[in-house]
Amino acid sequence: MNTKNNFIKIAVPIIAIICSFLVGAILIACIGGNPIEAFSYLFRGAFGTASNISDTFVKATPLIFTGLAATFAYRCGVFNLGAEGQFVMGAVASIWISTTLTGIPAPLQLVISIVGGAIAGGLWGVIPGILKITRGLNEMIVSIMLNYVAILFMGYLYSGPLREGSVPQTASVTARLARLFSPIRIPAGIIIALVLAAVIYYYLFYTSSGFKLRTVGLNRTAAEYNGFPVKKLILISFIVSGAIAGIGGSVELHGTQFRLMSGFGEGYGFDGVAIALIGQLNPIGTVLVAYLFAVLRKGATTMQVGTGLPTSVIDIIQALVIVFAVAGSAFVNLPKIRQVFTNLTGKSKKEGK
Amino acid sequence: MDIVCINIYDLLNAIKQVREWKSINASGVCMKEILRMENITKKFGEVYANKDINLTIMEGEVHTLLGENGAGKSTLMNILIGLYQPTRGDIYRYGEKVKIDSPSRAVKLGLGMVHQHFMLVEAMTVFENIILGVSNDKSIFIKRDAIKKEIIALAAKYSLDIEIDKEITEISVGAQQRVEILKALYRGAEVLILDEPTAALTDIEVEGLFRIIRKLTAEKKSVIFISHKMREVLEISDQITILRGGRTIATLAKENTDASELANLMIGKELVTCEHEKVTETKENIISLENVSFNKKSKHSGIRDITLAVGKGEILGIAGVDGNGQSQLAQMVTGVISPDHGEVLLHAKKIAKFIPGYFIAAGVSHIPEDRNKMGLIGAMSVKENLVLKRLEKPEISLGKGLFLKKPAMAKCAGDMKDKYDIRCESIEQETRNLSGGNQQKIILARELEENPDLLVAVHPTRGLDVGATRFVHEKMLDSRDKGCGVLLISADFDEILKLSDRIAVMFEGQIVGVYPGKNPPIKEISLAMAGKQMGQGD
Repeated sequence: MNTKNNFIKIAVPIIAIICSFLVGAILIACIGGNPIEAFSYLFRGAFGTASNISDTFVKATPLIFTGLAATFAYRCGVFNLGAEGQFVMGAVASIWISTTLTGIPAPLQLVISIVGGAIAGGLWGVIPGILKITRGLNEMIVSIMLNYVAILFMGYLYSGPLREGSVPQTASVTARLARLFSPIRIPAGIIIALVLAAVIYYYLFYTSSGFKLRTVGLNRTAAEYNGFPVKKLILISFIVSGAIAGIGGSVELHGTQFRLMSGFGEGYGFDGVAIALIGQLNPIGTVLVAYLFAVLRKGATTMQVGTGLPTSVIDIIQALVIVFAVAGSAFVNLPKIRQVFTNLTGKSKKEGK
Repeated sequence: MDIVCINIYDLLNAIKQVREWKSINASGVCMKEILRMENITKKFGEVYANKDINLTIMEGEVHTLLGENGAGKSTLMNILIGLYQPTRGDIYRYGEKVKIDSPSRAVKLGLGMVHQHFMLVEAMTVFENIILGVSNDKSIFIKRDAIKKEIIALAAKYSLDIEIDKEITEISVGAQQRVEILKALYRGAEVLILDEPTAALTDIEVEGLFRIIRKLTAEKKSVIFISHKMREVLEISDQITILRGGRTIATLAKENTDASELANLMIGKELVTCEHEKVTETKENIISLENVSFNKKSKHSGIRDITLAVGKGEILGIAGVDGNGQSQLAQMVTGVISPDHGEVLLHAKKIAKFIPGYFIAAGVSHIPEDRNKMGLIGAMSVKENLVLKRLEKPEISLGKGLFLKKPAMAKCAGDMKDKYDIRCESIEQETRNLSGGNQQKIILARELEENPDLLVAVHPTRGLDVGATRFVHEKMLDSRDKGCGVLLISADFDEILKLSDRIAVMFEGQIVGVYPGKNPPIKEISLAMAGKQMGQGD
């Protein structure tokens, strides 16, 4: 039974991806392109050279962080739509630490900066959490609203106190995350992301605290009746989720952008939610889907250059993945379809009454 | 051999049907057949939920479908009201073949069903629920006053006592059921299917329901009554059809049968009544409540000045009509809600903070009233549900839960599954796919394996079949004999009488009397449950 469920969980996103590529191919053909040529450019763009592979990893990194942030909160049954704000606040804390805490060795500064980013993200995440468990406010609305607060606050910083020169942007950070393992040059950020994913996986599935957190996510009443500290776990999920996004912002700052400017972190929060859902709320699945999204984004530019097709075609494919994955999940939950799956496994027989 | 037997049964049924068709009832009126199901077969995958079922309903009769859980009663009724399509077989209405392909078609054919779990919109009023989805005239506006009058007249005709402008949440379970019946009648039901209508009611309410049923049959309506409670079946039925394993075993007239025959036909083997000694005295109290109150103003969801104690090694049964504060009592002694006034002492120590975790640590186990909502995590596996309370125990985890040993978890769950006879494909199966009886066994296993000092069991056998019920009862008696105090809250009066060493009656949030469990004064207790004292009216 469980193996069957696992099969469905893996099958749905894969089928969704295949379907969206098929529809994407039809779309490309309709606007006069050659789908095979377009897709080959797409994959060449993502994997063609060592530098392309490296860039794809770079693009995947922030998506993994926000995806993991969404996954963690969803697992506890709460909706953190504020990953973008937490991401931004993490970066804001990091830029502040990096520009004020000069004169110490770069690696130490980096560590302090990332920890600072985690704390800032966690604090930004705890606000909707506290409001939810004490006043019953809807966490979705609060966290979305806090996104605007964070983005506008960042805007104030890079155009005011932390502005450097005539352009509205901050100074760049000196401590930077390296790219490791020449010649592919894997960015250090993605290694942090992968380690974090592994830790989250371990926490959720191999510790009693993670077990309880999942229980709260699946049935809050039963969790309470079984003596689990429901409110505490909800609060923890907000803090950790925020901290994950905060680290993401910090890593993005130190590894890719190096400075805050307009558009920093834009869209990552909601991308993360979609990625978490397609990844079936599994940290490993989230990493894989985030990587797929990065492949699409990196490849899109190459495709545009190579074939003249607009990158929006790839945006459409990306959106279709979400649509198909959500539809697929709903589809397999239809009673009749569940019945078919039960029949397929064959050995249902009599469950025994 | 099996096949031959079935054929003989079919033959007997056929003969019987012919006889019934011509039969003349007591008052000398020729009874009319109004509904017939012939050779109904329904297959789910490879499993036959129904196989060649025959059922004939006469005008103005109460026809009972009797069978254990999983005997195919619900499937058959779902076919009748158009939720399922039969794999094979025909349905005849007034002797004419009909195809019921949707619930709305069933309504048009005059078939109405009152489900075991009511299908009412809780936030709406009784009136709105009744008119929901029906319009008897073409007007786009709802003629509230006219319709209301019509409904009130209909209710009066069948002595259905309802408060038409109250919200569903404000009325009792019995009243909700009356709303369901009225809803079906308003839609023009000629045949009313009542699926386990007495499951949530107590004796007094059941009496009321039976009066309504008699009124219905007097008005030439037919009732299909689904139940597995023998006493009620014998009281109300005209005809009884027994289902077992998805097949019709027999159709009997009430006059020609008795409880033991029915039970034997239903379970296919002799039912051994469980015998046990009742405990008459206890030494120390596990938990005691002193003048405890909660939400005092509410009659149905509050507690008023309760003083009560459960002793070591006894079963204290709380009898009473559902919705007289029992849920709140259970929630209080498990730490889910805290009292407004009064003290609760656990192991003679006053409790300051009402947190379920604290009560669990102090040895309180809980079989909650709603097993799916409060007890189990449906999307989790049998294994995960079984080990829910022992995550930090050294046998399945390192460092108080820092690392869960998956193989040890599986072994622990496997042992519990065997010990409590939980039937599932594997311990990895999701619990929501299990039958009610097996779900309840999971809760039982989880709660009793903690070796509790106090077990709070709320409706522990609701919706369970005879076998599972007996299993649950045995386990509860076992833990009582091991010295566990049991607080049993049940709407099933028979269960209370059978198990309790002491019986306390709850009415409108108060304890109105405590009676001995050995040779209990049944009449007095029933009166107390209705809020009356002995000698104060009938």
